[in-house]
Amino acid sequence: MAKRLSLLISLLLLIMIALPVQGQDDVETYVLGVAQPFTGPLGSFGTDFTRGIELAVMQMNAELEASGVNIRFEVASADTEGTPDGAARAVQTIVQTTGAEVIVGPLTTSEVLGAKQFADENGVVIVAPASSGIPGAIPGDNIFRVMYPPDNFAALAFAEIARSRGYENIAILHVDDPFGNGLAERFTIDFQAAGGGEVTTIAYSPEPPDLSGEATALSADVAQLSGSGNTAVFCICFLADAQKLLQVAQIDPILTTVEWMGVENLVSPDLLADAGHAQFLQSVNFISVSFTDTATPLTSPFIESFTAEYGDPPGPFTNYAFDAANIAMLTMLAAGNDGDAVTGMLPFVANHYIGTSVQAYLDDNGDQAIAFYGIFRVADDASSFIEIGTYNGSTGLLEMNE
Amino acid sequence: MFERILIDSLIRSMQVGSLYALMALGITLTMSVLKLPNFAHAEFVTVGAYTALIVSRNVSTNPIIILGLSAIVASVVALVSHITVFRPFEKQKSSIYIMLLASFAVGLIIRYVLFLTADTFDLFDQRIQVPLEIWYRTDNFILSNVFFWVVPTSIVLVIALSLLLNATPLGREMRALADNFDLARVIGIPVERVKWLTWLLVGALAGISGALWGIQTSVSPLMGWVVILSVFAAAILGGLSSFPGTILGAYVVAFSENTIMQVLNFQFGLSFSFKPAIPFIIIVIVLLIRPEGFTQFFKSNRSLKR
Repeated sequence: MAKRLSLLISLLLLIMIALPVQGQDDVETYVLGVAQPFTGPLGSFGTDFTRGIELAVMQMNAELEASGVNIRFEVASADTEGTPDGAARAVQTIVQTTGAEVIVGPLTTSEVLGAKQFADENGVVIVAPASSGIPGAIPGDNIFRVMYPPDNFAALAFAEIARSRGYENIAILHVDDPFGNGLAERFTIDFQAAGGGEVTTIAYSPEPPDLSGEATALSADVAQLSGSGNTAVFCICFLADAQKLLQVAQIDPILTTVEWMGVENLVSPDLLADAGHAQFLQSVNFISVSFTDTATPLTSPFIESFTAEYGDPPGPFTNYAFDAANIAMLTMLAAGNDGDAVTGMLPFVANHYIGTSVQAYLDDNGDQAIAFYGIFRVADDASSFIEIGTYNGSTGLLEMNE
Repeated sequence: MFERILIDSLIRSMQVGSLYALMALGITLTMSVLKLPNFAHAEFVTVGAYTALIVSRNVSTNPIIILGLSAIVASVVALVSHITVFRPFEKQKSSIYIMLLASFAVGLIIRYVLFLTADTFDLFDQRIQVPLEIWYRTDNFILSNVFFWVVPTSIVLVIALSLLLNATPLGREMRALADNFDLARVIGIPVERVKWLTWLLVGALAGISGALWGIQTSVSPLMGWVVILSVFAAAILGGLSSFPGTILGAYVVAFSENTIMQVLNFQFGLSFSFKPAIPFIIIVIVLLIRPEGFTQFFKSNRSLKR
């Protein structure tokens, strides 16, 4: 009797132990890779982007559980260090250690291009939330640049601004990377196609210790171009580089006499933190474009849930990482955890996705095809940037309010 | 136009060369007195710049106060690095390769502490609150207050350092250490005290140069690192032991990066993207043709190592 009882208890125990295991086995886990720069100058972006992605995963898992769907998403992240090589290593590490077939990230076009070869060769899908450099616009690859429009829209916007302001020649200073080279080249084509005159370019190496030599050369270019018509400066620089340039330009006898345009990352309060720089930018009628967020039904819920989860509101562009993660996960739910199937399905899903600030819609290159820019200048008191117009990338229409 | 570009680049060479000299002298000191090729020097420079930024925002915009506090904070960081990392390795009689790796490690630790701090307090790419003013203007060139802060400060500090090394007991002790470490110990030189003072001096030089570099450009956690190769090129030109050689090396590197680069760009259209290659080219050429650098030119002077 005792023998039978102990056998029965043992059986019951075995069943009790086995049951939850059986339950867990029913849940299928999809790994969502996250390749972002956690270290280096872009580290703060990478950290915030990853929070946005993790929030999307948390929300998705909660909905899947509530709906009784036995699929869960798990994040596997790696540091791209903000470099092309680092991005390639990060994507490779995630894929080889977790079997992930879909990666959200990396951040910049240089990083995306760094990871491209491995992704294409191994059927890994890259969903990049904020890469906009023109060299990344490649049809038929495994890279999707959702939400944030490629820089050819910005190039057209700047060419239109230059035309409307009557600039006949442009002196460009640009960072020597895929973003800077691509935008400078595309702008030159668009500007001259719209009847613009001569364009000179000066490229500088990324992360320069200072830009005083380049500023002197820019000044010489402006002096030469000014002889044949109204000339402006176009600064395709990162924020820190622009600060170094302005430190020299603000006392240059030639660069202070012409108007300036600058890329959208310069529309930042940090650029105006130095009073001398702010006054200089105000005096040279500095103008820029910035991709304008428009409110959608998802805007407030995203900001509220992010703030509730992390204590701080989301940083710049973090909503795009959140959107990119959602597009990736929705596609995986539809196509399964298979890179090739996701590649085929993702444009369809993206084109039906309402983002937190803009409707996603992809072109033949797999890049965001809807672009709507605000046009900004420095306020009269030089303390902030104010919006003075809009540029619709779909229609090519520039509207200025002043 | 060419005349203007040339004069402008020469002024810039003088300004940048003065800063390189301040930074490179610190490297020469650590190399000759402490026998350490210290790559963490880059981060001491950055610490000085961040101190200047914080002081300019919260304490004073007076450049003397900014430079003074930057020197103090960077000195403390340098000394703490010695006490916590370099001295234990020295006691283990570690090879120069291990010390080199340790200096990289110290630099990385400081750099990422700076990254975390900058991230927490939003201190990326910030400007030190010292306004730029034009102090002298002609048809061909303009001199700003930054020029008059950087160049005289560097010259005064270099002279003061030379006096310290050549005309004080501490200087004699440091040179004795540079010349023969074991002999210096045997004849009763308080080796550890001299090392501590050398680290404080090295940190102060880095701190002041970082603050001045930050005033000239902007402050970020990588600012010291991006300039360190040019500074090492200057120190190598000085043979890593000669003060006058290091100073001359600093101006040669700055002249190459600015004036020669500017002329090549203006006359032959050479892209500024090649500018970062210049220090490497100088290092390779010097190591191939004249490994002792400019040391031989200054034999009659009191170099650190005779």
